[in-house]
Parts: sequence; structure tokens; C-alpha cells
Amino acid sequence: MKKEHDQGKYKYGMVIDLDKCTGCGTCMVACAAENNVSVRPDESDKQRSISWMQVYKADNGKEFPEAETVYFPRPCMHCEQDGRGGHAPSCVSVCVATATTLDKNTGIVSQIYTRCIGCRYCQAACPYKARYFNWWDAYFPVDKGLERYLSPEVSPRMRGVIEKCSFCHHRLMRARTKAYADGRRKIKENEYITACAEACPAQAITFGDLNNPKHKVAQLIKSKNAFRILERLNTKPKVYYLSSRDWVRKIADNPVDEFSPISG
Amino acid sequence: MGVTRRNFVKFAIGGVAGLHLTPLPYKLMDDIAIWTQNWPWVPVPPEGEFLSVKSVCGLCPGGCGIQVRKVDERAVKIEGRTDYPVNPGGICPSGMGGLQLLYDRDLRHTGPMKRVGPRGSGDFMEITWDEAIKTVAERIASLRKNAKTEALVSVDGNSKGSTLSLMIERLTKAAGSPNYVRMPSLEDTYEMGNLLMMGNNGPMAYDLENSDYVLSFGSGLLEGWGGPGRIMNAWAVLREKASKGGATVVQIESRASNTASKSDKWIAARPGTDAALALGIAHVIIRDNLYDQQFVSNYTSGFEKFKTMVLGQYSPEKIVDITGVGKEAIKAMADGFARAKAPVAIYGKGKGTLNGSLFEFMSVQALNALKGNINKPGGIIISDPLPLATLPAISPDGVAERGILTPRFDQAGTNKYPFAVSLINNLIDVINHSDKSPVDTLLVFSANPAFTLPDSGEVNRALKKIPFIVSFSPFRDETSFMADLVLPDHSYLEKTDDIVRPNGLQYQLYGLTRPVVKPVYNTRSAGDTIINIAKAVDTKTASSFPWKDYESVLKIRAKGLFDSGGGLVRYKGAEPAWKWKTASDGPDYKSFGDMWKKIKTDGLWYRKLMPSAIDSGIFKTASNRFEFFISQLELAVKDYPTAAPGGNRLKELGITVEGDAAFMPHYEGNHHHDEQLPLTMAPYEMVNLASGWAPSPPFAYKTIFDDQLLGSDSFAIINPGTASEFRIKQGDYIIIQSKACAVKARASLSHGAMPGVVYMPLGFGHTAYDEFIREKGVNPNLLIPPGKDPLSGHPVWWTTPVKIMKG
Amino acid sequence: MDSKLLPEGVERCSFGMFILWMLPWLAILAWGGLAAVLCLVKGLNQTNMSNVFAFALWIVFDLGVIALGAGAFFSGFLTYVVGKKELKNIINAAVIIGFICYSGATAMLGIDIGQPIRGWFIFWHANIHSMLVEVSFCITCYLGVLIVEFVPIILENRKLDQIKELHIFGHNLHHIMGVIAASGTFLSFFHQGSLGGMFGVMYGRPFAARDGFYIWPWTFFLFVLSAIASGPCFTIICTKLTELLTRKKLVPDNAIQLLAKVSGWLLSLYMVLKIADTLVWIYDIAPRAGFKFMDFYREGPYGVWMVAAELFVCGIIPAIMLMTPKIRENQGMLVTACLLNCTGIILNRFVFIIVTLAIPVMPFDRFLSYLPTWQEWAIGFAVIAYGFIVFSLSYRYLPVFPKERELNPIAG
Ligand SMILES: Nc1nc2c(c(=O)[nH]1)N[C@H]1C(S)=C(S)[C@@H](COP(=O)(O)OP(=O)(O)OC[C@H]3O[C@@H](n4cnc5c(=O)[nH]c(N)nc54)[C@H](O)[C@@H]3O)O[C@H]1N2
Ligand SMILES: Nc1nc2c(c(=O)[nH]1)N[C@H]1C(S)=C(S)[C@@H](COP(=O)(O)OP(=O)(O)OC[C@H]3O[C@@H](n4cnc5c(=O)[nH]c(N)nc54)[C@H](O)[C@@H]3O)O[C@H]1N2
Ligand code: SF4
Ligand code: SF4
Ligand code: SF4
Ligand code: SF4
Ligand code: SF4
Ligand SMILES: [Mo]
Repeated sequence: MKKEHDQGKYKYGMVIDLDKCTGCGTCMVACAAENNVSVRPDESDKQRSISWMQVYKADNGKEFPEAETVYFPRPCMHCEQDGRGGHAPSCVSVCVATATTLDKNTGIVSQIYTRCIGCRYCQAACPYKARYFNWWDAYFPVDKGLERYLSPEVSPRMRGVIEKCSFCHHRLMRARTKAYADGRRKIKENEYITACAEACPAQAITFGDLNNPKHKVAQLIKSKNAFRILERLNTKPKVYYLSSRDWVRKIADNPVDEFSPISG
Repeated sequence: MGVTRRNFVKFAIGGVAGLHLTPLPYKLMDDIAIWTQNWPWVPVPPEGEFLSVKSVCGLCPGGCGIQVRKVDERAVKIEGRTDYPVNPGGICPSGMGGLQLLYDRDLRHTGPMKRVGPRGSGDFMEITWDEAIKTVAERIASLRKNAKTEALVSVDGNSKGSTLSLMIERLTKAAGSPNYVRMPSLEDTYEMGNLLMMGNNGPMAYDLENSDYVLSFGSGLLEGWGGPGRIMNAWAVLREKASKGGATVVQIESRASNTASKSDKWIAARPGTDAALALGIAHVIIRDNLYDQQFVSNYTSGFEKFKTMVLGQYSPEKIVDITGVGKEAIKAMADGFARAKAPVAIYGKGKGTLNGSLFEFMSVQALNALKGNINKPGGIIISDPLPLATLPAISPDGVAERGILTPRFDQAGTNKYPFAVSLINNLIDVINHSDKSPVDTLLVFSANPAFTLPDSGEVNRALKKIPFIVSFSPFRDETSFMADLVLPDHSYLEKTDDIVRPNGLQYQLYGLTRPVVKPVYNTRSAGDTIINIAKAVDTKTASSFPWKDYESVLKIRAKGLFDSGGGLVRYKGAEPAWKWKTASDGPDYKSFGDMWKKIKTDGLWYRKLMPSAIDSGIFKTASNRFEFFISQLELAVKDYPTAAPGGNRLKELGITVEGDAAFMPHYEGNHHHDEQLPLTMAPYEMVNLASGWAPSPPFAYKTIFDDQLLGSDSFAIINPGTASEFRIKQGDYIIIQSKACAVKARASLSHGAMPGVVYMPLGFGHTAYDEFIREKGVNPNLLIPPGKDPLSGHPVWWTTPVKIMKG
Repeated sequence: MDSKLLPEGVERCSFGMFILWMLPWLAILAWGGLAAVLCLVKGLNQTNMSNVFAFALWIVFDLGVIALGAGAFFSGFLTYVVGKKELKNIINAAVIIGFICYSGATAMLGIDIGQPIRGWFIFWHANIHSMLVEVSFCITCYLGVLIVEFVPIILENRKLDQIKELHIFGHNLHHIMGVIAASGTFLSFFHQGSLGGMFGVMYGRPFAARDGFYIWPWTFFLFVLSAIASGPCFTIICTKLTELLTRKKLVPDNAIQLLAKVSGWLLSLYMVLKIADTLVWIYDIAPRAGFKFMDFYREGPYGVWMVAAELFVCGIIPAIMLMTPKIRENQGMLVTACLLNCTGIILNRFVFIIVTLAIPVMPFDRFLSYLPTWQEWAIGFAVIAYGFIVFSLSYRYLPVFPKERELNPIAG
């Protein structure tokens, strides 16, 4: 039977260049706008606000005027493993209702809102705090008119369920549909780009197939400056970072033992 | 049947098995579970046909290319365009959230309104457009009848040279008032400084993309300075180069801002000492003979005087004391800058939405002149304004002629402020110091002075005194809440308007926004409203506005682009527009009709970078050279009478130094020392928080950290050492007191803060808009007392003496 | 007025007195009911739980009561499977306490999930890899078992026992009690274990993560062991409290002493394993994940004192006390030891839940703290009130303590 779409082994991933990232937060806004993330009147309650892409701020711990800041934009890492060799990310293996899964063909960790019972076990299990619970109903008061910008490509969530970065999965669907309409089986590198990568004004985010040596991401992760957050947890994230600053790479991974700086 | 053990077991097993065999209960429950999720308050976005519309962002003068994804008539997402030269693909967080500013009913004025509640309350009653226009027109007509036309004042926050600005100025003048007042901006400082030093107030740009050494004096490159879309892309270009060892960015700023943190070198100079540091660097460059001697001897004048002053008064030892920057760092900057191939010294404070200090700018500009990097790759680019067609002259009648000749209320351009074009702070002063406001009717366009101007307490006092205020703002901002009448403009996504040379671009670019969606509310393009008003005032005023609508005015002006020849209306993205060209390109259109059609769909006309050479007469000073010693300033001092007989002309201009130095870029010193107010409050800006006229989209509040805003409190950043002197801990409430007032905030301790300085974010503390924005934090503008920058007369807002205490 | 319903040959307070005693508990239950309605109608924003504290007070309560409720299955196991006849005198109380704990916990869980309407998806869309699924299956089944164990006790009510069908039904249930107890033991073993497993498998959370055996991390076994070590103590505490309140001796000392002794030995075994586990955690698991032991206690109120309190004060000390016949034969000491033991287990559950979530894993992340809202407290206390109500009713109307008549002969 001929398959409709190319179901080959893809491993979509992201590389974020922290030397370029300016901490501007456009990726956060782009993600929220793209994915119908609700905005509440008080977004300063960070423990309860939702941001699939969260920019974290860190410093080198030095005193004025040696202090330096770095920003870590953190989407869902779309981990490949749970940290002990289990071939599903921590959040997936714990989910009670199979409401989140790892798609072996794309590497994308999904989240099915209408399946989720809201037990939040996945949230407890994710070391990256990438999962967000809807403590309230989405904030779209009647007559305010805000619901008019909602995209039909991503279903708005109800109260009581978990949501998280989907690597803009609907954009993959969009690209697949287009490729199919054009009679192609493969989608091109620039056809499936996440909203955050597309929006970043500093071009700090690159997205693509880590399995495809021709894709920029696959080349970038070979850099000596490439690293992942909490690498030693062995969750095998598909989001990589680049930084030429030793302290930045160091701060990303709880280094108990020796950290080997890269000269130059 | 008795309940026997056997029956019991049978029943239990049978029941359990049966339950598992019929899917019915599960199916039903599944359906019920799904059905119960159909809560009417969880919106279901309607499906429809997807399309993408290209336009230009008009939220700030950055002029980024955007494309809007639509589902039928609904706009659902704004994205950056890769086929637009300014911002290849990316946009800023505000632009990204633009749809919230389009649709949020509580952020916008939904139609023409008249005020019903007290000023500031935001209580309005919807009226018809006819009534609204009639009310304004009658007001103006009555001023004209009584020959009081100068009492009509417009405040304009649109970009200089935009067609809307011309229309506003035109309406003011045609009605008979000289009082067209612009909101201050860094561009004013550039213009004044360049006019003085180069005799050229044409658009200036820094060619960052081609530079290999950027010496930034406080420019918030990553805080929203210049056109954020373009600058952040330039940043990526610079970082890319830097990773190959080819570019250095040095940030001079007292706070570890994003720019400071992300640059190659952060130099923490005390706030307000940039001029001294620049001249200290100049000292080393001149002393060590590192300057471009050919340029200096061929194209500058007054160098010897400058050299004498700099070598005599700006020794590194002295600069160390003034700025707190070490001698080695000064030397390193001088070396780095002077030895680079394409260096540029850039000036700016924060986003540049407010003015800078004139002498500081000129001191920085002197560094560029020492290196001769003017109209060279990677340096300063002085270009001609866009060749837009001029509009026919107005034909004022007697009333208007009389009115136009009355002195401006703000005294801009008078003996006292000879180089200023517009001084809104003076206007505020004049109103507050008169028994009765000399301003009768104030028209406010694309500006929110009640919030964005320094010393906002005084601004609001003045606004309260003005008998009649008309706001044209599409947003429910603070100033519009003071208005008696609101004639709301469309948002940038609902109208056609031009973006004339986005801020700071090296190459010429004309952008055109287009109505991406049909107007969501009962608003009207301000350009059309102006024409409607003029036509309703009287026939004489109407005669200066012979156009059917605003779009025809835009078209008339755009004809100038066609007439100038060349230019491109499509951008492919293969070659960046900032690449230097030797031959002109284009045109890629056949006729003006064709060009206009293409501009209307793609929102773009541009010419690749091809600046004129230095010797082609770009210096239009008396000496036709770049003047280190500014002859015009000397003239303005020596040839003008003093205000009072026997007065000191220099002092009147706010200049405190004596001798030749007064006519050269110099450091004015810190005259604000006050035992009672031992600390300095420095406001800072963030790219993800709007501090200008347009509000931040609610989405942007996701990006604000909770050590910047928490609940209704914003935070002041303080060095842990300074904080411990006052026994202040992270998160404590503090009172910050200046001469103007006292405000409450919370403390955020950071080693990125200079000891002795209190940093407060601009953009919080709104009292208008809706629940997303209102009553969040405090506006540092409240703290800033009146103060004037020497010579320019613009407000001093970057440092304010304060004291703090636990609150 | 309810004298017809009271067990024969025992003394009970007056009905009015009983109502007076019940009133405060009913009030707390109503308070909790109000909170529950608020949470169900308005959502979990009524709590102070957050994206950081995904699990909070309620889960601590749940895990606590489920551990303490282990007295039921373990006593059942000892009574029916091992055949410790003396425990028949306390088994009813243990079963009722177990029933209270499990039904209370299940009710709380129903409120704790964001989508209670979809709670059954756990079974319908079960993910067999999830420890929480194992927990849910076992707890649900075990709650069934507890009901089956509780029903015959209810049917022994004087009035109900007079109905013939019910009598036979109860009698039949009694006959299969051995099977029921065995399956209860099996189920309990798995859910107590998988509750521990839930945390042990959070490999992304080095504070909780543990290596293990087959699919089970060591916490699986530690939770089972700690539950059976503390459950009997909780049964003892409840019994002693009842004795105190009723001013009667209800259970013969040999039953209590047996439970205490078994508890002591189990607790000792648990402490040995727990200390070994802690050492492996400190020297292997944490450093592998990039943490030094003290990294976990750098910020906030959760200091190393918690480790000392859990392992020494509430672990080794009660273990010694319970194992030493001289000490445990002293009533005051016995109760103290039981209390310490139970406190230690609650502390253990608290640490696994709250401290695990409070400690940031990403090095540049911050420590955050959490305080429950009144709604959370109300629901927590309502479960306690519910326990008092059910136990009081049972004590009043059912022959909970078979030896009560014998130990407290009614004069005249
Ligand atoms: N470079 C230079 N600077 C000078 C002098 C000089 O000779 N050269 N001279 C000095 C002297 S003596 C004086 S008096 C001052 C004068 O200085 P300014 O007051 O600046 O006078 P202008 O530069 O002639 O005009 C001001 C601005 O008004 C605009 N303008 C022209 N017509 C109109 C109009 O009808 N309405 C409005 N609203 N604007 C209009 C012009 O385009 C210009 O940008 O400048 C002083 N500064
Ligand atoms: N077309 C046109 N005409 C105007 C005006 C205008 O805007 N446009 N503006 C009008 C106004 S407001 C004014 S005030 C007048 C000004 O008119 P003028 O007084 O004629 O001023 P300028 O022509 O700017 O400069 C006068 C002369 O002084 C010389 N000079 C420069 N520096 C010095 C110096 O240090 N010492 C001496 N002794 N001479 C020096 C200059 O080289 C120049 O020759 O022009 C008026 N006429
Ligand atoms: S948009 Fe780009 S530069 Fe801005 S915070 Fe995100 S990754 Fe960093
Ligand atoms: S980052 Fe968290 S949510 Fe995302 S896959 Fe990994 S464990 Fe799951
Ligand atoms: S909260 Fe939802 S996604 Fe997370 S584990 Fe529970 S059911 Fe699964
Ligand atoms: S990939 Fe898509 S869903 Fe994920 S953070 Fe980026 S924009 Fe959001
Ligand atoms: S930088 Fe300015 S023009 Fe560009 S997207 Fe942002 S607000 Fe719009
Ligand atoms: Mo003049």
C-alpha cells in the first residue's frame, strides 16, 4: 500500500545560539500567538502563567562590573528518553491516560488536550518545567473581542489540562499537506519552521531534521560550542544550544566535577 | 433465589465480564466526557480560507515587513517577512503581538467619543463622526473668527517627514498657528548635532552591518534602539562576524543591560559622563596619533582648537575620576576604535524614543570624525532625504498669516533655543506658568505625552489646564483619557500609511502599510479625518486640502520616488540591502502606475546603499567642512543679544564652560550634586515593554520577569552593596524620592547595577488601557524634575538625583 | 433512642452526647465540602498549587493516609494468611481505618485532577508504563476489597444481622475472607510500591530518582516496607485514641504488642535499607545527575535537618523503641514510638513530593515555595473529619472490637 506521506525517520530538533539570543522574548510572544496560548490579566504570576517557550535569565555570578547575563529560551526539549534508557521522555512514560506520546517518526512529543485528565504527573516528571497546567479557563471574556485572533489550526485548551510546546506540529501538517498537493513526498528544510524560530529577530533559533546531515541543525550540533541543558540527566533533548562563553555552557548542566573550558 | 456463595461469585464474575464486553457504557461515557467540555466560554476558532497578506508594521518607526495570516476576514497571526530588507524574517515582541492591539476592545477607542466622566477617568460616550468632526471644526473656526489661531496647538508623535506629520503640520498652519509641536526623540539630537558639526540635518544612519568595531555610547541596541527589527538582525550579523573574529561590540553603559551583557566588552561608565569618556578616548587617539590625518586635514575645521582642548582638559587620569572607567579600558577603546578598519561610534540613550544630550552626541560624533568614517562602509552614513514629492504650499489668509507669525509657545528656534525645532517641555512650562492656558485647543496625534514625557506630573497638570483636548489615538491611552473628544485613528493594520525611511536605515526605504483587515471598529484614518476637519472649518482652510482622501496625498508624494528614477519595489532577500553598491539598481517597475500598484501590495520602495562620497559636499557648514569648532554656535552666541542686558549668552543657552570649549563638543560636568539626594535614578528601557505611544500587547507581559513586575509592583534595580547600606533586601518595598515626587517600588538586587544608581524600567505604571496593562508598576517619568539639556533645551531625563528608603 | 442499633452487651454514650461529639466533625466535613464544590466548579485555581508544585498538600495527605492505611492489609495478611489469631481482635479496626484512608484518598484524588469528569480515562486509555496507572488500578481494586472486608462488619450490626439474606451474605463473605485478604495484600503491595515508584521513576528529578530492580525503582520497595512498618502503628494509635476517648480497654495487649513488635522489626529493616538507599543516592545517583548532596538544601526551609529528622528522630529511635519489649510495653512509650514512626513516614512522603518539586533541576532556575490555601486545608481536614465520623459510627453501631464485651463487663 502506498503511503500518503513520507513516514520516514525524522528527528526534528532545534539549535538556539545563545551568543545571538538577545533575550527579547519575541519567541515567547510568537509561540503564544501561534498556538492560541491564553493571556491572563496577571502574567507576573510566573508559577501559573503559561508560556510554552520560556526565556530563562542567568548570570555569571560575578560582581559589578563583571556581571554578565545570559538568556536560555526553553521550549519543550522533545526529549528522546526518560534518563534511564527508557525510550520515551519522562513525561510520556508517566502519563496515566496516554495523553502525551513520542512520535517515533518525527521525534515530536505530542500532547492531546482532550485526553489529558489533569493529574499533572507529567509536570512533576519533566525536569525542564516545560509543561503547563491550565489553572483557569482560557481568558477570552465575552465582548472583549480577543477571540478573533485565534487560529483554527490549534485548538484552544479547556481548564484543567496540561499543554506544552508541540514544535508547532500543525506547521508540520501544513508543510506535509502542501508537499502532498505538490506531489512531493519529502518536505523541504525551510518548509517546516517553528513559529519561534521564524520570529526570532536575532536569528538565534534554527530548526530542522537532526537526522539529515544537509540540514543546518545537524551541522550546528557538531560545533564545539554546542551543548544541551542538563545533558547528564540523559534525557536526550532535541533542543541544542550554542555558546562561546564557558560559564554559559557550565551553568547549563550542574557540573559537579571538572568542567573543561573551550579555549578561544 | 437465595444469595448463595456460588451465586454470588457467578454474579460478580458475570457482571465484571459483561461490563467489559459491552462497549456501550464506555462509549457513552467518552461522549459525555467530550460533550461536557463544550463549555461555551472556551472559544472555538472558526475554520475558513487561509491567506497571507503582506504589509509593514507601523507600531514603531522601525518599519519592519510583516505578513499577516488570515482565516477569511480574521487576522490570526503576524509574522516577519523574509522578502523585506529591514528585518529578514524576524520582528520584535510588540510587533508580534499586534493582533491583540487590533482586536482588544478595551485597549481601543471603538469610535468617535466625547468625554462624559472627569478627565482621566476614561468615561466616554460614543458620538457620530459627523458630530465629532463638526465639533473640532467649529472650535478651530471660532479661533479663526476671534483671531486667536495660535491657541490651536498640535502635538505630533509620528515620524518626521511622514505624510501624516506633514498633514498635521499643514492643518495647524493653514488654520493659522505656528504651534506644531513634535514629541522629542533621539533623531532631534542627531539632527541638531549634525546640523552644527556638519551643516547637514539629513537622515543619519550607522552602518552597523558593515562595521567591524562598534563603540556604543549607551545605545540600547538590544533594548529597542533604532528600528528594533533591523538592529536585532544587525546584531546577528555582527555576532556571526564576531564568531569568525571579525567584529567587536563595546557597550558603554552603567547597567548590565542586555546589550552590555551580550556585547564583547561592557564598560560601566557613570551615567551622564559619556561626553567625558568620548573626549578621553579622543585624547588618547590624538595623543597617540591614531586619527585619520588625511581626513582631519582635508575635511575638518577647528581641529587644532579641539586638540588643544582635548589634550589639555581630557586626560585619561581625569576621565577615570569622572567616569569611573579605568585608564587601560580607555586606552583599549581608543586603540580598538582607531585601529579598526570600519569602526563606528554610536550614540543613543535607551530606545531613542526620547532625546539625548546634545554635547554628548557631538563628543561621540567627534570620534567618528577623528577616524573619518563618514559615508564609508561601516561608519556613519549621511544621506539625502527620500525624494518624496513636496505638497503644494498652503495659501494662508490674513488670519492665518497673523497667527503663523506669532511666537511659538515653546520658544523653539528663538534666541534662547536657536537650534531646537520643537520643545514640548517648554510648552508644558508655559502652560503651567500662565494663569490661563495660552493653549485653547490641543490636537494630539500618535502621542501619549501624559505618560511618555519626563516629569509627567507637570505634563498632566498642564493637560488639565487646557480647555479642549482632541485625541486622534486609536488606543485608550492616558492622554486620550484627558481628551474631551476622541476621533480614533485606524490601527496600522487597518489603513494605508507611509513609513518614510524607518529609523536609522542606511539605505533609502519607503514603506507602505495597507489595510490588512477591514476596520474592526468605527475608526477613521487620521489623514482622512484631517482632510474632513479642514473642509469643515471654512473654505479658506479647506483650500489647503484639495484632496479627496489621504491615500491620494500618499500617492502624490510617492510620485517623487518615481520621478527620482531607479529604486526597487521587490526584495528577493538574496543580497542584503545594506551591501555597498557602486552602480544604482532598478527600476523594477514600468510606470508610476505599476510602481504604486506594487508598493501597495508589497509595501516597499527602496534603493540599495550607495552614499555620496565625502568630497561631494555633504558638509554644508560655513567652512564646508566637519567642524570640531562649531562656527554656527559661536555666531549664535556672539551675534545674538542676551535676554537681559549684560547677561551671559552662554549661560542662557545652558552652557557652563567658558572659552573655546563652549563652542566645541565638551563635557558639561555634573551639576546635580545634592547631599539630600545622594543617589541617581536612571530609567531604563526594555525591548519587550513598550515605553512609547503604542501600548505593549498583553502577550508581551509573558516575557517580563517577575523580578521586573510582580502583581501591581514594578522593581527598581539596585546594586547589592548600595542596597545593604539602606538595609534593603531583594523584594523589599522601597520609596524613591526625587525633587519632583516620591514613588513606591520593590527592590531587585543585581550585580549588574552600578553602586549608587537606582534603575527603573520605563513602560510600567499605566493608568489607562485595560486590565492587562493598567495599574502595573510605577512610571519613573513621575520622578524626573524639569531640567534642560544645555543648548538643545530638550528635557534631561537620563539621571535624576534621588534618595531611597525602605517603604 | 438508637439503643436497638447498638451492639449487645456494651456500653455506649447517650445519643445526644454522640451527636454533640459528631457535630464538630460534621462541621469540618461541611467546610471541606464547600471547598470541594469550589474546586470542582471554579477549578484548581482555588488552590495554591502551581506549575512548580504540581503535586501539593493533597498528594501529601493521600500518600500519608495510604501509607498509614497499610495497617489494614498488613494486619489482614498477618491474620488470615499468616494465621496470627490474636490479631482477630484488632483486624476489624484495622480494616475500617484502611477503608477510611483509602476512600478518603480516592475522594481527594477525584478533586485533585484537573478534569474529574475524565478520571476514568486512567482505565480506558491506560498507559501501562505509568506507575500512577498501577497505583490507580490497585487502589481502585483494593478499595473494592476493603469494601468487601468492611461489609461483613457492617452486616454484623444488630439490626442488619436479623435480616436473613444479609446474614447469609455476610457469612459467605466471611468464608472467602482469606482469599480477599490475600488479594488485598497483593494489590496493596503493588500500589504502595508503585506510589513509591511514581517518584523513583522521575529520573529527570535527581532528588527523587532511584535506580531499581526490573521496572521498579528502589523507592517501590521502600514505600511498601515503610507502609507496612507504619500502618500497624497507626492502627495502634487509632485504637489507643479510641480507648482514651471511651475510657475502656478495647484490645488485648497481646494483639497490640504483636503489632508493635512486627512494626519495630519492619521499621528496623526499612531503616537499614533506607540508609543504604540514601547513601547510594548521595554518592551515586545525585552526582551522576550533577548534584552534590548539599545542593539540594541550599535554599528555602527544607534543610538537611529533614534528613536527620526522618532517619534518626522518626526512624532509628522509634525502631529501637518498638523492638525493645521493655519500652514498648510502657503505654506512653509505645504511643510515642508509634507517633514518631508515623511522623517519619509522613515526613518521607512530604519530602518525596514537596521537596522534590521545590528543588529546581535546571541550575539557573530558582527555588520556589508553596503554602496551601484554605480550600486545600479544608479538604485535607475534611478527610480527617470523615475518618472520625466513620470510625465513631462504626464503633458505636458495629462490633468493631470483638473483645470489648469481655474486657469491659457491664456491671449488673
Ligand atoms: N544651520 C544653520 N543654523 C542656524 C542658522 C543658520 O544660518 N544656519 N541661523 C540661526 C538663526 S540666525 C536663526 S533665526 C535660527 C532659525 O532657525 P529655525 O527656526 O530652525 O529656522 P529654519 O531652519 O529656517 O526653519 C525651521 C524649520 O521649519 C520648517 N518650515 C519651513 N516652513 C515652515 C512652515 O510654514 N511651517 C512650519 N511649521 N515649518 C516650516 C523648515 O523646513 C525647517 O525645518 O537658526 C539658527 N541656526
Ligand atoms: N534666504 C534666507 N535668508 C535669510 C534667512 C533665511 O533663513 N534664508 N534668515 C534670516 C535671518 S533670521 C537672519 S538672522 C539673517 C542672518 O543673516 P547673516 O547675518 O547674513 O548671516 P549669515 O549669512 O549666516 O552669516 C554672516 C557672515 O558671517 C561670517 N562669519 C562666520 N563666522 C564669523 C565670525 O566668527 N566672525 C565674523 N565677523 N564673521 C563670521 C559668515 O562667513 C557670513 O559671511 O538672514 C536672514 N535672511
Ligand atoms: S526571539 Fe530570539 S533573540 Fe529573542 S529571546 Fe527568543 S531566541 Fe532570544
Ligand atoms: S522537556 Fe519535559 S515535557 Fe518536553 S519532552 Fe522532555 S520531559 Fe517531556
Ligand atoms: S496531566 Fe495529562 S498529560 Fe500529564 S500525566 Fe496527567 S493525563 Fe498525562
Ligand atoms: S516550537 Fe512552536 S510550540 Fe514550541 S516553543 Fe517554538 S513556537 Fe512554541
Ligand atoms: S521593531 Fe517596530 S516596526 Fe518592527 S515589528 Fe517591532 S514595532 Fe513593528
Ligand atoms: Mo535669525
